[in-house]
Amino acid sequence: MAENKELSLEIKQLNKRFNVDGKDVEILKDINLEIKKGEFITIVGHSGCGKSTLLKIIAGLVGYNDGEVIRNGRPVKGPDTDCGMVFQEHRLLPWLKIKDNIGFGLKKSDKQKWNESVQKQIELVKLNGFENAYPSQLSGGMSQRAAIARGLVSNPDILLLDEPLGALDALTRVQMQKEILRIWKEEGTTMIMVTHDIDEAIYLANRVIVMSARPGEIKEIIKIDSTNAKVRGSSEFTYYKNKVYKHFFEDERTEVEYNI
Amino acid sequence: MKRTKDILLGLIIPVLIVILWWYVTNFTDTPSTILPEISAVGERFRLMIESGQLQSDLKVSLIRVLEGYAVSAVLGVLLGTLIGMSETAKRILQPTLTTTRQIPIMAWIPLLILWCGIGEGSKIVVIVIASFFPIMVNTQAGISGTPLEYVEVARLYKLNRFKTFFRVYLPHALPHIQTGLKLGLGVSWMAVVAAELIASTSGIGYSMSYARTLMQSDVVIICMLVIGIIGILMDKIVSVIFSALTPWEKKRRERG
Repeated sequence: MAENKELSLEIKQLNKRFNVDGKDVEILKDINLEIKKGEFITIVGHSGCGKSTLLKIIAGLVGYNDGEVIRNGRPVKGPDTDCGMVFQEHRLLPWLKIKDNIGFGLKKSDKQKWNESVQKQIELVKLNGFENAYPSQLSGGMSQRAAIARGLVSNPDILLLDEPLGALDALTRVQMQKEILRIWKEEGTTMIMVTHDIDEAIYLANRVIVMSARPGEIKEIIKIDSTNAKVRGSSEFTYYKNKVYKHFFEDERTEVEYNI
Repeated sequence: MKRTKDILLGLIIPVLIVILWWYVTNFTDTPSTILPEISAVGERFRLMIESGQLQSDLKVSLIRVLEGYAVSAVLGVLLGTLIGMSETAKRILQPTLTTTRQIPIMAWIPLLILWCGIGEGSKIVVIVIASFFPIMVNTQAGISGTPLEYVEVARLYKLNRFKTFFRVYLPHALPHIQTGLKLGLGVSWMAVVAAELIASTSGIGYSMSYARTLMQSDVVIICMLVIGIIGILMDKIVSVIFSALTPWEKKRRERG
């Protein structure tokens, strides 16, 4: 039991089905996963493999059929402040100023504490000077920073990131990856990020989870244990990249052989 | 600079109309009972202001509009919100309301005269019926069009229904409510004039109808212009109030 306290998240035998036109469709099958406190996990998979659903189940936004999902030692019953989430679209509310968007999840009863918490996040994501701007005045990268700040404002133990950089241009994306890594190191929050960018997955993670599609199953969990693997273009990086690639393109390779 | 240009562009058509008017009264033999000269209309306008007739007509009509509009604004926003938020309320109310909406406002007038006479009551009810629907329909569209993504964010942060309404649904609906309130105001102004034209003993619509029986086309034209100008002013007032209520919309437009 002592070991369990070190776990941020424990998923046992999780199954999820959606009912589509009276038929049950398996979305997630037999998911087993243990995530330690402070780990950075990335999940890669084809679109439609249920990775976003998995995140929503962890967040408590979506229910599940069988199995167990235990967040910080408690079974997940619904959303709670110990778990923040960042979506692919920043989902900042257009009618709230940036500071009010960031403080959206915090009770305003203690005004001073609210201000302090929000200010701390604004500094963490380097949005100083934009406290009173509206979301429409921010660039895509800045909006995502604000969304990350909103996710972190209640000091959650886990931050779920659902392809948060998917809509950004390549340069902003690389910059934001560095920022996320910096924030992760500063805050020590457990991060679980869904992405379809293999480079991003390897660059950020302690462990990369590769998922297959329909039904979504965990194919392989790849531990990234070499620091060199964080250097893009290093031989370790390429090694891991090939390892992930293999899962997605095995079919294609056989096709090529046929063609020859 | 851009503003001056906008105003000048907007003035092109009114100026052309005035030139055409001037041409018709000076170079054709149109009788003045059909189209009076511009100067005659100006002179009549001065007389109507001096005698205080125009002001008292306007006052009567405006009070009717404000009374009726206040009722329908409150009813329309409340019912629109209710139907937008609750599927059950929608199933109960929508069929009846949608059917009622198909009846043209003029078709209500005979029954309202039978029930309420030609006093203040019937006019106010006409305004309420006419302006209620645009306000309700737009409010409902604004509430039920709130993106589920935003509602999900509210769920993620455990906002209760009450807070979710005030921090997510209502702000999203405000620009739509504004549209509804503007349309409703325009419609109530039209409705009061229509009601006064048909059955009334006071108000600007009544004065127009009375002037027509005396062949005073100048009075009719003045009343029409005043009605148009008052309508524009009321529209602007609603715009100013709402642009103060929705500052984020302005920022969004500035960005383009």
